[in-house]
Amino acid sequence: MISRDEMLNLANLSKLYLSEDEIEDAMKEMDGMIDFANQIKEMSPNSHETPNINGLSNALRDDEVIESYPQNKILENVNGGKDGYFYIKKYN
Amino acid sequence: MSNSKRGIIKRIKNMLSNKEISCKELTEKYLSEIKKSNLNAYVTVCEEKAYKDAEKIDEKISSGEELNFLEGVPMALKDIISTDGIETTCCSKILSGYKPIFDATVWKKLKQNGAVLLGKLNMDEFAMGSSCENSCIGGAKNPHNINHVSGGSSGGSASAVAGNIAAYALGTDTGGSVRQPASFCGVVGLKPTYGAVSRYGVIAYASGFDQVGPIAQTVEDVSLVFDAISGYDFHDSTSNPNVKMKTFNGINNDIKGLKIGIPKEYYDGVDEKIKLSIEEAVKVYESMGATIEYFDFPEVKYSLPVYYILACAEATSNLARFDGVRYGYRTEHYKDINEMICKTRSEGFGPEVKRRILLGNYVLSSGYYDSYYKKAQNLRAVIIKAFDRAFEKYDVLITPTSPVTAFECNKKFSNPQEIYLADICTVPVNTVGIPGISVPCGFDSKGLPIGMQILGPKFSESKLLNVAHKYETFTDYKNNKCVEMGVRL
Amino acid sequence: MSYDLVVGLETHVELLTKTKIFCGCKNSFGSEPNTNCCPICIGLPGTLPKLNREVVNFAIKAGLALNCKINLNSKMDRKNYVYPDLSKAYQISQFYTPICKNGYVELSSGKRIRIHQIHMEEDAGKLVHKSGDVYVDYNRGGVPLLEIVTEPDISSSEEAREYVEKLQMIMRYIGVSDCKMQEGSMRCDVNVSVKPEGSRVLGTRTEIKNMNSITFMTKAIDYEYKRHVAVIESGEKVVQQTLRYVESTNSTESMRSKEDAQDYRYFGDPDLVEINLDDLYIEQIRNTLPELPTNRFKRYTNKFGIPEKDALLIVKYKNVSDFFEAASAGLKNPKAVSNFIIGQIFRNIETETEREKFEILVSPKQLHELVKLIEDGKINMNLAKKTFSKMLESGKDVTDFISEDDMKGISDNEIEALCREAVSKNEAAAKDYLSGKEKAIKAILGYVMKATKGKGDALKIEKKLVEIINQ
Repeated sequence: MISRDEMLNLANLSKLYLSEDEIEDAMKEMDGMIDFANQIKEMSPNSHETPNINGLSNALRDDEVIESYPQNKILENVNGGKDGYFYIKKYN
Repeated sequence: MSNSKRGIIKRIKNMLSNKEISCKELTEKYLSEIKKSNLNAYVTVCEEKAYKDAEKIDEKISSGEELNFLEGVPMALKDIISTDGIETTCCSKILSGYKPIFDATVWKKLKQNGAVLLGKLNMDEFAMGSSCENSCIGGAKNPHNINHVSGGSSGGSASAVAGNIAAYALGTDTGGSVRQPASFCGVVGLKPTYGAVSRYGVIAYASGFDQVGPIAQTVEDVSLVFDAISGYDFHDSTSNPNVKMKTFNGINNDIKGLKIGIPKEYYDGVDEKIKLSIEEAVKVYESMGATIEYFDFPEVKYSLPVYYILACAEATSNLARFDGVRYGYRTEHYKDINEMICKTRSEGFGPEVKRRILLGNYVLSSGYYDSYYKKAQNLRAVIIKAFDRAFEKYDVLITPTSPVTAFECNKKFSNPQEIYLADICTVPVNTVGIPGISVPCGFDSKGLPIGMQILGPKFSESKLLNVAHKYETFTDYKNNKCVEMGVRL
Repeated sequence: MSYDLVVGLETHVELLTKTKIFCGCKNSFGSEPNTNCCPICIGLPGTLPKLNREVVNFAIKAGLALNCKINLNSKMDRKNYVYPDLSKAYQISQFYTPICKNGYVELSSGKRIRIHQIHMEEDAGKLVHKSGDVYVDYNRGGVPLLEIVTEPDISSSEEAREYVEKLQMIMRYIGVSDCKMQEGSMRCDVNVSVKPEGSRVLGTRTEIKNMNSITFMTKAIDYEYKRHVAVIESGEKVVQQTLRYVESTNSTESMRSKEDAQDYRYFGDPDLVEINLDDLYIEQIRNTLPELPTNRFKRYTNKFGIPEKDALLIVKYKNVSDFFEAASAGLKNPKAVSNFIIGQIFRNIETETEREKFEILVSPKQLHELVKLIEDGKINMNLAKKTFSKMLESGKDVTDFISEDDMKGISDNEIEALCREAVSKNEAAAKDYLSGKEKAIKAILGYVMKATKGKGDALKIEKKLVEIINQ
């Protein structure tokens, strides 16, 4: 069983907000997820290797400048931002 | 002419080239059928843009230029594939309003081939799900029976293709998300080898598992689309620079002497009707000169938990960037930055996404990393080796795509994990990085499609499409209700 | 009881590559906000990193220069933490397999500060806070960094200073970073603990983040040492925490305690593939390394007889040392060149920044020509110094100030004749000298020098005069 503190820590790591009445349910659900993951505890691998899924190495790029995007494009999804910046308004 | 098993793409090419129909008229047909459709397959329709692109194709035709295979063919993309200037949301509230400022490589390639984009397709939020019902706009329906789900996560892609409101579609497959909905909707879906198709611009769920794959009516069409989207991409470090596949030319090759392996474990808990259909299909191959052998494959049982642990870990990290600072949804009321981020995410993500983020953080967090994440990595290596051994003996493996056919909409599962079992046949492919294809091989008693899955070693797409095509040319489904739906060419 | 100070440093240096670590955007300082950015820099979903080869090469160079073992097989990992300046909410870094391990920096005392590891990573963007609002600029996001981590081998703030200065010097020599602390291209995190003198057990450590000046770093270390000792002596326990240094009060304050310690959930980045190197590749990079400052220092002091203090001043700045190398090449007495640099050039450029830049009007070749004239006995040191001052002001050649005629020099016979004449005309001074007033000789010397119009070698003439007087 996951403890309340562990649950809150997980929520914090996940940057998810849990209200008081959500915590209990979240813990129950989390137990279900952990039980599911716990299936691997019965499996004993004959391996200590980390797989290289596509066997590739050294995908490198030459140090050559590619033109950056214009500032207004970069800020397009925040309505142009403010003064050239992404902007998070103070909430009062 | 009704929709037969002959590919739509070739037919459209001929119709356009012979001026039987203009590209604009064709596009109009699709767009009007989309409007009429009750499948909920599309999340965004790009009417204006589609017409504009169609007009360009028509100009090309009237100037007498030769058309490419995909030129002028109206198609659609899963809403996880970035399209410059066109909303791309992964069917999540958290990405509402987000318009990418660049194109995903796969879309860039199709664009260069003259594709006409009809719109963006419905999906489980961030590709997490097996029913499409985790979408912020509700699930795409199954054209064979709209009370049943389309499957997931690329439900919209399979539904639109099966319902003839897109000539073909792209989906993504992280644990079966192309193959399973293709199987549920009675169409063909290919999950390519990891590294065969660029992931650049495809919003990541689990980076080490995701692949883009085509969904189409026929194996031939899937092959044509795969040839167009696959190949090395400089921008994707995991794309393989050494392989260039052209699958279409070998699609009709003789398969005499083909060694087919049937892993017994894949058939545990599978519906009887599905087992029978696959057995029938296997007999077809036998009649074509293939040899069949059943074999034990115990390692495959590791796949499901291994997949969920690793995929959730990667997802946790991939989805941490959705903080409301740079794009998408931002909450209105907050005290400080941390609260802004937490509230944005809590309001923006659906329950399944939250569950997987939490599990991902659990298996990566200090104290648990070794016993979950690291152990799952080690087990992944074991499963890879087991598949390597299997492919030393067999050219391809044949399994069901799903243990069940499309389930009813809003079906209540006893817990969220029960639905994960629906992925049991598809997940090993992603865990190992090999290709897999789902082809229709019959219907259950309710008339819902059954899918057969064919697996091969890495970069064996040519062989898989060849083997799948051989079966497809042999079969003829008289009770395919979808033939009369959507655009009829 | 007295306590030993134990310090370990984690130093970030920004690399002088043309582009960022994972995309082709310019790696430059001081641009308009969000103008050196692309979809990758701002972490748009679906974007993927592509590693800059030069970053790997620079990391290998740094590793070799710091006597490290280069890992032939390394990988990039994700360090996960959510903060608005980090556009992907994870920093791509190296945790499980850093590219370099087990090196050292040797201090002047001969003590070696061991390097635990060097790894490659990306920098984050910048937050600007204005009256409660937050502004974010991602220009710096993706700028390549090396993090150089020492073992806790440093036992005084002075050693820390010397280590950082050495590191700075070496990075500049090999051209991987300009290490400008004031611009943030070099930053240090300092781990401090104390233990009873001679004890082997390390005390609880505190970490002071983001020091951007060597002076403040030494002050912060000294402050923390005193604070730790005071806490222990008062019977309390040092609390493990992360601190920031407050310049105005010369003290530290808490940023976060151990309980809120970040859990970074490192794992291998699935978007990037392994980096596999071989010995040949590493040797090729080794061959591109310039002579390192420690070597130059040894050569200057041992071979050229330059005093350690002077040699250190020259070696400290790569531009100066390179100037010295060019000017002194082929000369019998390189020390003369160092005297000109320290005695005359440095008198006019005093700040660290100026010396680093070393923008002077005289070229190494011009100084070389001047010293060559001295070596050939064509002009004396006095004249050379005066001329060099003029050269430094104007950038003109030595021949613009001294004529061919001036450089003809003066024969030994002429000098002897002049000396005899001088002694006979200054008998009083000669007598004074003989009676022990050694300074008296200067008056006679002045006479000769005047007669030679400064061409004579004062040392040589003085010797001759003494000889004549003693006869």
